[in-house]
Amino acid sequence: MRKKLEINEEAKSNLIRYAAALLAVLLIGAVLIAVQGENPGKAFSEIIKGAFGSKINIGNTLRHTMPCILTAIAAAVAFKSGVNNLGLEGQIYFGALTAAVLGYAFKLPPGVHVIVCLLASGVAGMLYALLPAMLKLVFQVDELISTLMFNFIAVLLTEYITMWWIMGGRGSDGSNAISTPPMAASARLPGLIQGSSASLGVVLAFLVAVLVYLFYRYTVKGYELKQVGENIRFARAYGIPVARTFLGIFLMSGFISGLCGGIEMSGSYGSFTAKFITNMGWDGILIAYIAKQNPIAIVVVSFLWGALRAGSLQMERMTSLNKLTVNIIQMLFVLFAAIDYKALLDHMRQKHIRSREAG
Amino acid sequence: MQEILLAVISPVVFAGAVRIAAPLVIGSVGGCFTEKSGTFVLAYECFMLISAFFATWGSYVTGSAVLGALIAVMVSILVGILFGILVFRFQANGMIVSIALIYGAWAVTTLLLVSIFQVRGSFISPDIISFQTISIPFLNQVPVLNDVLNNKIGPVYLAFLLTGAAYVVMYKTPFGLRLRGVGMNATAAQTAGTNIRRYKWTALIIMCACCGLGGAIIPLSGVSMFTENMTSGRGFLCLAAVLVGGGNPIKTSIVAFLFAYTDALYLTLTSFGLPTQLLSCIPYVAVIFVLIVSKLRARRKAALGAGRLKWRKKVTA
Repeated sequence: MRKKLEINEEAKSNLIRYAAALLAVLLIGAVLIAVQGENPGKAFSEIIKGAFGSKINIGNTLRHTMPCILTAIAAAVAFKSGVNNLGLEGQIYFGALTAAVLGYAFKLPPGVHVIVCLLASGVAGMLYALLPAMLKLVFQVDELISTLMFNFIAVLLTEYITMWWIMGGRGSDGSNAISTPPMAASARLPGLIQGSSASLGVVLAFLVAVLVYLFYRYTVKGYELKQVGENIRFARAYGIPVARTFLGIFLMSGFISGLCGGIEMSGSYGSFTAKFITNMGWDGILIAYIAKQNPIAIVVVSFLWGALRAGSLQMERMTSLNKLTVNIIQMLFVLFAAIDYKALLDHMRQKHIRSREAG
Repeated sequence: MQEILLAVISPVVFAGAVRIAAPLVIGSVGGCFTEKSGTFVLAYECFMLISAFFATWGSYVTGSAVLGALIAVMVSILVGILFGILVFRFQANGMIVSIALIYGAWAVTTLLLVSIFQVRGSFISPDIISFQTISIPFLNQVPVLNDVLNNKIGPVYLAFLLTGAAYVVMYKTPFGLRLRGVGMNATAAQTAGTNIRRYKWTALIIMCACCGLGGAIIPLSGVSMFTENMTSGRGFLCLAAVLVGGGNPIKTSIVAFLFAYTDALYLTLTSFGLPTQLLSCIPYVAVIFVLIVSKLRARRKAALGAGRLKWRKKVTA
């Protein structure tokens, strides 16, 4: 009975958080849109229409939900255990490149080819996560800063590999021209909704989220991993090998990020282009934080994120607004959701009591 | 091979490094204050990018680089106040607020680029006035130093002055002592009667002002343009310099200069036909190497029992 109450308390504070953040964002967003000389009501309705207006639009929403779910799960896995893996973007890049290369260079039977590509992309992300993890374990280099640096290196290195190894040095420095040959049809994920860019990838992402949820909820290993993050001294005393766990977490997080890159390739892009994404890794980190690292909440927030992304494209087509307006709205949502409202309320209440006692 | 080695230590590279170092040094000297006051800020990139944009805008509108930089510093401080309100007042997680701000800075500057200048990607105009170069008369006589140090824009010299000033403030004044006290042990500092909140805020404002100035230098150092995501990771290099330097302004500046030097190599080494992508990697690889070396040194010191060791142990909530 008591446990149930506690959960309710937490859910309540989360609900307050989301509601307050949403309200604030709607207000500020409306002002932001009005300042740019557009009708906020029209802009919001275009966003909703663009996200859920038709079957194709829902497909686009799902397509943009996929990378959000996977990157956020990758971030959540790391953050849960106190590993600051900010290198998601780099791991995505290497996963994507690996999938794209295997996709065009080999001929395999249809079903097998996709699976090979996706698994290899995960492994590539994992190997790229291994570098900062080893730096931390061997030299105690803070992964927070090393993963940030590895992000920049990954973007440049994948561009280098594409341009000099795959294209043989041809192609100008304009990054649009630098890309791998298209992947074979057997390496592409089948589409989910006809006419939209949604692929089976979103189902895979959802499955990964569910698996991670079950892993942390029901297995001893999951509990141990969480303990390492929550109370490292207890974890040590309890006999959990902290170094090995740290490595495991880092690799798991890298695998999921790499997989995200792979699904992006075989689900949507079809060939690796230099600098093909910006800020996908940041999206994941922000979503993981808003959702408090809970896989189910991550799926919900990711869906919201995907809807905003798909809706922003429609908004840009139908109004004079730039789709970046939506990015700013997303940022504001994170800022407002990051506020600890409960502490704020408690603080205000105490102040109130104090002032009443004084008066 | 020999040619490359000679080119690497040529005065041209050092002259380039001195020029490139200014934003990094100024930004990271500011970061020393927040580092020492125990505030965890990751958003250097945000402050620098926002101020790079507003410096461009200010310089374009007013026709003066100094006014442009001033506007940039103001805007940077405003963003810093937002950070402070969220983190100090509303107890938000510093890392998440930082990441959201970095993400937002990219969106805001790109959007403003479209809505103010009606261009996508980059804005180039001769009306963006850069800082004047300053020539120091007595340096004319010295052969190598003249190339390396003379005829640079004003902020380059300001970077040296700021480093010295920051060192003095940090280690020779009561303000610096209390600031470090707040970072080392907030409870003890409060017991001793220090207003923690005020010191943390002051450090944050100093950091934002410095990052603002650093960011303003990037578009106003002769290129006369602003491009999308112009700072391209310089903020993160500042952060790395602060972490390696441990908040000591002089050490931090030296590390920042080292990063600038590796960045300057790019210009020289492209002439040897090396792939540009690999050359662009050099500063980031350098950061990782410097981190490894500083860790090894710290460990040796600890083994000798000489230095007091304090390394950040920040874990996300």
